[in-house]
Amino acid sequence: MTERFIHHLRVELPPATERAAEARLRLADKFPRPALRRMTHLGLLIGSVLDGAPLAPEDALVYASSFAETRALEEFLTSFPAASPLWFHASIHPGGAQQVLIGRQQPIARLWPLAGRTRLVEQALLTALLEPAARVAVVGGEERGTWMLERRVASATSFAFAAILTRQPAGAVAHVAFSPDAQSEGVCPTLQDFAQDLASRRTLNWHGIGGAWSLAWL
Amino acid sequence: MNALADQLSVGVEACDCLTPFGSAAATATALLAGRRALAFSPVLGRDGGDLVPLALLGPMDETLPPHWLARLKEMAAAIPPAAWGSARSPVIVTSSNFGVGSFYAFTRDHDPRHLAHGTPFATVDLLRADFDWGENVQVFSHACVTAHLGLAHAARLLHADLADRVLVFSFDFVSPFVAGGFHSLKILNGIMPAPYSVRETGSIGLGDGAAFAVLTRDATPFQLAAHALHNEMFHFTGNRPDGAGFAACAAAIAATTGGRRVWVKGHGTGTLEAGRLEAEVFARQFPSAPLVSWKGSLGHTLGSCGLVELAIAIAALRGSSAGAAGKIPGTVGGAAPSFTDTVALESLSSAEFDGAILTSNAFGGAHAAMLLTHD
Repeated sequence: MTERFIHHLRVELPPATERAAEARLRLADKFPRPALRRMTHLGLLIGSVLDGAPLAPEDALVYASSFAETRALEEFLTSFPAASPLWFHASIHPGGAQQVLIGRQQPIARLWPLAGRTRLVEQALLTALLEPAARVAVVGGEERGTWMLERRVASATSFAFAAILTRQPAGAVAHVAFSPDAQSEGVCPTLQDFAQDLASRRTLNWHGIGGAWSLAWL
Repeated sequence: MNALADQLSVGVEACDCLTPFGSAAATATALLAGRRALAFSPVLGRDGGDLVPLALLGPMDETLPPHWLARLKEMAAAIPPAAWGSARSPVIVTSSNFGVGSFYAFTRDHDPRHLAHGTPFATVDLLRADFDWGENVQVFSHACVTAHLGLAHAARLLHADLADRVLVFSFDFVSPFVAGGFHSLKILNGIMPAPYSVRETGSIGLGDGAAFAVLTRDATPFQLAAHALHNEMFHFTGNRPDGAGFAACAAAIAATTGGRRVWVKGHGTGTLEAGRLEAEVFARQFPSAPLVSWKGSLGHTLGSCGLVELAIAIAALRGSSAGAAGKIPGTVGGAAPSFTDTVALESLSSAEFDGAILTSNAFGGAHAAMLLTHD
């Protein structure tokens, strides 16, 4: 069995109607003012869930998002033929996590940005379990799109979560484990469902990549 | 700064790539001949715009179905058969672009069919269906160090005994989306890139590229012996001016070489500041190691460059069909004076070396390096 313990845990589940400008007002005290102006909705939510999270240069961060920087992508696409340099680099995965870490001037050893959808939560957790760093931040999130949402190529909701995984059980709030070759019932949650599960402290079990996964609350 | 390297050696069972020159062997032969795949092309494809250096497999405008799918099928024919995407034979797809050019095509002609393969997961779903992969397919996207992440993660899966073989599959095709983006950053200019050269104006080129590697725990003639990664988080599009990010990654990978005589395939896009920092740091860390870049010929193949250039390195070491066995291409497009005297403009003989350091860099000050060893 491979296991880690969850310490810092934060989830952002804003109302579906929240826009970036509203999030900027709501979360203003968490960011330096110069950085705040340039942050995207997803970046603001990720910054909020990582607020107070202990990260050091030798740590790692796993970042899961299927749609990633949707609003920046929308803005960049509509900026043609005078393509916007600001929206171009902001649209590139993993911009949502990078804008937070750059704002903090927080180097890290390894950043693992995942961009799939099927079994994304399982893959993010597996990446974290294989990471030798003492602390691994598992971060996920999406931001609600506008015209791309109307075309069903963007998330309908905005959310983010962050969990710091370590090998230390003392003081932990939850336990994540993968047992190769073991059997379990259930299916891997979607990224959005996983955020809800973390917020409501729901116990999870599922089967995937030839083994059993569990999330248990301590 | 602290960046420790993974030393989880894995065998390279199979590895190839596709560039405008063809396979890895054909590409190595072309590089040894000093040929450039880059040519001046309109930055927005059929929508026109400034002429910029692009190395393309064909017109870059998106089609239905996507033009890159047939190219990927062509390359994938060389992948050893297996139950790819099953629990013990995972696939790791790495790319920075995926099918994002399709979103640009949609904004231009409003055909909703383009939207079906614009997101990374939709692009991968298309590949899964075409290549009959199972659902154990992991997708990484970290701009221009993405392929390194896929290779490093594959080594971790193998050493944790969570896989028997891993297929790492990477592709990035230039589209008006990405060419327009780099042009807006004013680093894709109307001049050819000259990696590591001291000149007035820097410029990069962009290129189509795809590659794959099948990795295994078995000993093979070529081993990926170590990986180092580091993320500066100093600026989105710039590095720490003291080169500390390059130094952290270079020191971490240097600690894994164990006295091997190495050459360095650098990132070397043709930008001035990053090129100078890179050349100076590697000259300090590996003073006797020649430094080469191939992006002056192939352009920057973005998230796939790490795997494309790994395939070319292995092909060059194996020897090409032209009989130039063991000749390593020099810095095509480079010209004296260079930032350091370690920059190799001419080809090298591999007989002097038993290892290679292959590096890539990305937005956010991301650094990646791997150690390729061979008998």
